[in-house]
Amino acid sequence: MLHWLLRTLVGRLPQLLTSAGGVAFALLLVLLFEAVFAGESDQIVAYPDNVAADVWVMQRGVSNMHMAISLVKDWKIAAVAKIEGVTAVTPILYMNTVVIAGDREWFSFVVGLPPDGARAGPWAISHGASHPGSGETVVPALLAEMSGIGLQDEITIADKTFAVVGLSDGTYSMANSVIFVTERDLADILSSSDLISYLLVDVADSAEPEAVAERIRRQVPDVSVLLAADFVANDYAVAMQMGLEMISLMTVIGGALVLVVVAFSVYGQISRQSRELAIARAIGVRPLPLIAAALMMALFIGAIGVLLAILLACLTVPLTAALVPQLTLHITLASLIRVGLVVLVAAVIAALLSIRRLLKIDPIIALKG
Amino acid sequence: MADTPIMIADHLTKTFGTGHSAVHAVDNVSLTASRGEMMLVMGPSGSGKTTLLSMIGGLLRPDEGQVQIDGVDVFSRGEREIAKLRALKVGFIFQSFNLMEALSVEENILLPAHLAPGGVRAAAPRANALMERLGLGDRRNAKPATLSGGEKQRVAIARALINRPPLILADEPTGNLDSHAGQDVMMTLYDISRDDGCTVMLVAHDPRVEDVADRLLWLEDGALRDRKAETHSWLKDPVCGMRVDAWTATLFSEHEGERHVFCSRRCLERFEQEPAAYPADHGGPVQENLQVFRDDTFDDSK
Repeated sequence: MLHWLLRTLVGRLPQLLTSAGGVAFALLLVLLFEAVFAGESDQIVAYPDNVAADVWVMQRGVSNMHMAISLVKDWKIAAVAKIEGVTAVTPILYMNTVVIAGDREWFSFVVGLPPDGARAGPWAISHGASHPGSGETVVPALLAEMSGIGLQDEITIADKTFAVVGLSDGTYSMANSVIFVTERDLADILSSSDLISYLLVDVADSAEPEAVAERIRRQVPDVSVLLAADFVANDYAVAMQMGLEMISLMTVIGGALVLVVVAFSVYGQISRQSRELAIARAIGVRPLPLIAAALMMALFIGAIGVLLAILLACLTVPLTAALVPQLTLHITLASLIRVGLVVLVAAVIAALLSIRRLLKIDPIIALKG
Repeated sequence: MADTPIMIADHLTKTFGTGHSAVHAVDNVSLTASRGEMMLVMGPSGSGKTTLLSMIGGLLRPDEGQVQIDGVDVFSRGEREIAKLRALKVGFIFQSFNLMEALSVEENILLPAHLAPGGVRAAAPRANALMERLGLGDRRNAKPATLSGGEKQRVAIARALINRPPLILADEPTGNLDSHAGQDVMMTLYDISRDDGCTVMLVAHDPRVEDVADRLLWLEDGALRDRKAETHSWLKDPVCGMRVDAWTATLFSEHEGERHVFCSRRCLERFEQEPAAYPADHGGPVQENLQVFRDDTFDDSK
């Protein structure tokens, strides 16, 4: 019965697809907006994610890298290195600043690498050297391309010029690109001689990273120690925090659009099919199955809208990567679940809004010619 | 025709509006219908035919009076029970067919079966039998848009019959059909009343329907006249010569002591402009020895 009523209510497929298209458009905006933030957040955490240290050690009270300052006395490098289970410690100096390349300014993570700190350097190189020497820098290839610079050109970091000797891949971000210099050059900029920012700790295969982290906490004073996964998660959360309110606002706007589209579609279809619904009432169909059919119709429109939106989003992501390489889109499972829930709520509300119209259908209409 | 009353309408009254604008659509109408009886309701437009049918079918609650169908007092029940009663005890046939456009012929016929005990599965053999009986066997998967008017009305008849209701209410079932298809539908309804024992109450304007009806009810200004339909009072319109039933005619004129009836206002006006232009043999009875039998139970003092 429900199936037949739904078919009667839906009427012509093109109308249904038009409604679903409206829903898909609203959802696509929400999905892409969130995908931009998620993609950008992925890029913001690209450095800690890719250098793949087992344990991160930093200033006490600090728990991430993005928008953070961490300063640790350099004697703690040796203290950490002595702890059981630690196979290597790579110190980096770090600064969040604006870099001038060509005529453009770029917010950047500047990472100062020790002479033997290749494991903390860029993980993919497209051209040139991977490890900078004194007065040299390795910059993201995409940043160089957009700035119109290449190898041997100069960039300015805090009034000091550096020659570009390498172009790295996977290090560009709209918010914070990763630029590598030597630790000493960055120390000069920061006017510090005995400080480092983070210690990247490698743990022996035979040791448990959690146990090693705990030993560092106990034996080295005034430091925060985090497993890599927790450190990256913290950084990602901070990055996403910046867009949280915007994402929430977009979700509400998108949800409202979905509600309007679904409500108008269901209400319109009920009005258009009111004669057939009156016939159903006349032959004895009670209101409840009709209401259930209206709800199913709303959910059906919403579901097709979600599927269309996902399909369009899946097409948009590679297209965007090809046309706008500086923009990284990442559609997360969480955002898909969120739009699904938004549609579910909107569809139920839309169906409820239509119930009054449905209940007002008089079966006597069926007798009028 | 058995004498068991399948439908009893008792002092039904329905008024729309209030005060000066009040319209007494149905005014204190009482009637009974026996099992297998075919009853024709006629009357001018706005006389309350559809309102009466709506109340008998449980679609419209009367202001006063009661309706019993198959021994069940319809309006003493809640809407839910009335809907169930409509599904199981009443079959509706509408002028404009009223099929579900998205459903096939077979699905349309089976739609009310969802509401019956046993559901669609139990009703499927009867749907097959009805489709064969009504010549729809090879159209079972067709959509209504591809059917002729006659086929659509036969689908509507099958739908009305699927739950074996004791009462069929048909509102102008031939109104949208050509004469051949209309005749076909009327004979189908006639067979239903005779062979299946269904009581058929139908509203129609087509005077030919009177030939197959057991009883003719004339409704005017919401009040009922009841008469047998074995004979008609056929007279000729003196202007155009068309056959007009004196019982149902609403346009009259007296000339030289003779009463004339007219099929239309235009004929009446032409006659009144120059009555002498239309010789006496133009009007008058169509057939001799007319006899009109009044129903003794009818009270026309109202």
